[in-house]
Amino acid sequence: MKSDALTLSTNIFPKENTLDSAPPSARPPTPPSHLRRVMDAALIWVLILALWFIAAAYFPLGSNPLLPAPGITASALWESLPELWVGTLSSFTILIPGFALATVLGVVSGLLVGTSPELQRSFFPFARVAAPVPPTVYIPYAIAILPTFKLSAIFVVFIGAFWPIFHNAAAGAQALEQRYRDNARILGLSGFEYRRRVVFPAALPHIFSGMAVGLGFSFILLTVAELFGANAGLGRFVQYYADFAGYPKMVAGIIYTGLVTFLAMTLLDTVKHRALFWMK
Amino acid sequence: MTVSTGLQIDSVSFSYAVDPVLESIHLAIPQGQFVCLVGASGSGKSTLLRLIAGLQPPTTGRLAWNGQAIAGPGLERGIVFQDYSLFPWMSVVDNIEIAIAKAKPEQPRHERREEAHDCLRHVGLESAIGKYPFELSGGMRQRAAIARALALGSPLLLLDEPFGALDPINRARLQDVLLEIWETSVPRKTIVFVTHDVDEALYLGNRLIILGATPGRVIADLQLEFSRTQDRRDLFESPSFQIKREKVAEILAEDTLRLLLPA
Repeated sequence: MKSDALTLSTNIFPKENTLDSAPPSARPPTPPSHLRRVMDAALIWVLILALWFIAAAYFPLGSNPLLPAPGITASALWESLPELWVGTLSSFTILIPGFALATVLGVVSGLLVGTSPELQRSFFPFARVAAPVPPTVYIPYAIAILPTFKLSAIFVVFIGAFWPIFHNAAAGAQALEQRYRDNARILGLSGFEYRRRVVFPAALPHIFSGMAVGLGFSFILLTVAELFGANAGLGRFVQYYADFAGYPKMVAGIIYTGLVTFLAMTLLDTVKHRALFWMK
Repeated sequence: MTVSTGLQIDSVSFSYAVDPVLESIHLAIPQGQFVCLVGASGSGKSTLLRLIAGLQPPTTGRLAWNGQAIAGPGLERGIVFQDYSLFPWMSVVDNIEIAIAKAKPEQPRHERREEAHDCLRHVGLESAIGKYPFELSGGMRQRAAIARALALGSPLLLLDEPFGALDPINRARLQDVLLEIWETSVPRKTIVFVTHDVDEALYLGNRLIILGATPGRVIADLQLEFSRTQDRRDLFESPSFQIKREKVAEILAEDTLRLLLPA
């Protein structure tokens, strides 16, 4: 038929046909310029800031606005920096021990369980039930039974970060590629040496994924725990000014906490790239 | 079965599920031989190498090295894979050192490092000692893999298409590196070399075993006596070499044809 022949001929010259809606593969996409990238990255920020300015200007809520203007918030942040710094140090005395303990125990137990079918048979049924329990429900009990608030907060951060690290380390050990197993067997590597020199490095990409999830949980649990009974800290700072309707400082605290979390995640990412330099 | 030195393969069969991969393989490889295994894909030549390495047990039959039954991997049987003999997270020298540490556990550390350097020098890789596998070209990686097999000090070397992914120039260079290692080894190492390249097999080996496909079995066992003192190109163009190559190609073609024709 004629129409068939027509489609055929246009298919032979797809350029004519698809000039306007060229698929990405048809024309090699030119990489966006540096300026363009910066503009793309800044887009959402600029939009939110603009909305914030507008909202603060058109919804004036007296001398104590629920929506403090950006300028007021900025000066509140500046004013609170010493207090926030003390809070950061206090929070880190909870976060670092909790997260470090979760990393060490999560990696060691994850690699042990991941390399042993016997341990898997007893641990996985337990983990399937224990891991999904939201760690926040442990907070009141931990505060009640542990001697200090700090210890209970460390415990809760530990629980929250432990499971994702454990799961990922175990999955990484289980997913060990056949070629590495073969090489280890050829060399006669076994026991601790096999786990340290073969399983652990091969599982590192998995372990770092687990640590990233665990670090996110750590910050959530840290700030939630601080709402309960801390006398210093990032979560405590926000809660304190919320109680006194000090919204400029509260918003400043939220922004500051977001920034600290972001920096911690970036640091972990840098460590990951350093440690996994051999993956190309 | 009367030969107690070298590699003994007695009525070895191997199957993953129902279909046999290898069927009643009988081979006696005396010490010091350089054996090339060729065959179409599906002939189980890599599987046979894994059985010799002890990475897998045969379904039936028995393998033995110097009279000792092969029950698992052992340091007396070093292996070089096509492209993954090194741990990518260890530097080249660490990859060699871990092999030396296993082969000679009582050796002090500084001597181990020295020996690793010697192994790397042997394969012409002294420039890449501190580098990581991802920084090396394919040819350099295979040199390091051979160095690792040397570091194990294995009297039996197993190589599974070690130069299959290399360009012709690097391939030729590494063939000569391997030949030099074999010819200068005391006592002479036994080598089992799997390849699908007939020229490579004829050039390297002093014995050529052809496996037929589906199921894998020995369909030819040829002695090779080429003098490698002459230039590689002259050898390849010599009539005796050409005749052998024709013969091998014929045997392989016949086996492939058998699969295409109804029984």
